[in-house]
Amino acid sequence: MGVFKVLEIKEGVFENNDRQADLLRKELKQRGLFLLNLMSSPGSGKTTTLVNTLNRLKEEMKIGVMEADIDSDVDAHTIAKQGCKVIQLHTGGMCHLDAEMTRQGLDGLESGELDLAILENVGNLVCPAEFDTGAVKNAMILSVPEGDDKPLKYPLMFSICDVLLINKIDVLEHFDFDLDAVRERATKLNPNLKVIPISARTGEGIDEWVRWLCQEVKQWQVEA
Amino acid sequence: MHELGVVMEVVKTVQRFAKENGVTQIDTIVLQIGELSSMIPRYVHECYPAAVDGTELDQTKLKIEIIPANALCKNCQQVFNIMKNRSICPECESPEWGLLSGREFTIKEIVAC
Repeated sequence: MGVFKVLEIKEGVFENNDRQADLLRKELKQRGLFLLNLMSSPGSGKTTTLVNTLNRLKEEMKIGVMEADIDSDVDAHTIAKQGCKVIQLHTGGMCHLDAEMTRQGLDGLESGELDLAILENVGNLVCPAEFDTGAVKNAMILSVPEGDDKPLKYPLMFSICDVLLINKIDVLEHFDFDLDAVRERATKLNPNLKVIPISARTGEGIDEWVRWLCQEVKQWQVEA
Repeated sequence: MHELGVVMEVVKTVQRFAKENGVTQIDTIVLQIGELSSMIPRYVHECYPAAVDGTELDQTKLKIEIIPANALCKNCQQVFNIMKNRSICPECESPEWGLLSGREFTIKEIVAC
């Protein structure tokens, strides 16, 4: 048996994943494929928002969806009914997706001809914020019943997102939810954050969200 | 649990390092965790056996060094711990400071052969 010695590593725990994510983003650029990472807590309306988004966009571009969950495939069935390509990714108990799992998902989606791939991340405001998936843009949904204090409690998630959808505004009057306070708290953490209030149920605000997404996809493809 | 997925990332990095450097046996892994990092050292310790189970790192020991959340006061240049002083300089009571350390989550080194 050899002699034990100290070997210095000095590597940040997220560095390897960050490298993989940057590599994936570079490849997506070459292919002109836009990857959106959609995050939120469980029950915020990710799937309903997604269904609404797909219905508006599916004539305009080819879209594929990756549903990441710890278990089950209920969301994938809902999405498949919209006539979009969808695959279910099981994280096997893990609370997030990393860049490598996202790459495998894109391979499984046979994403060759797609313009837009949407990753519906595991419902969680903590871990997905720490793992760069390689997405071009990060979007998050905060729903009214969750409360307006969430930017204070989960600052990292609000810091890494490009767009914040505030969902379920059709029930705003029934909750002590201060929309302006959320705006202020979130943009203090992230001055470039775009905030769009929506209701996935009534369709309010979806136009503005879809316009934003469409523009981002086109921009990415022009630069490709 | 939040820590488990992250500790599995540690395992992956150490495995890669071991392979690249011809390491055959690992005794201890040393992590540095800042006081402001989202990792709780106690939970990292608790989930470590699950993260290394069935890997080459099974049976290795885990050591965690805590890095203090230190800041430099912009007013009087005093260095102080922001956790212990509730983000206010204990010398001049200024709330204006620059963070020096505390956000780390790093694999510092391994004891191996």
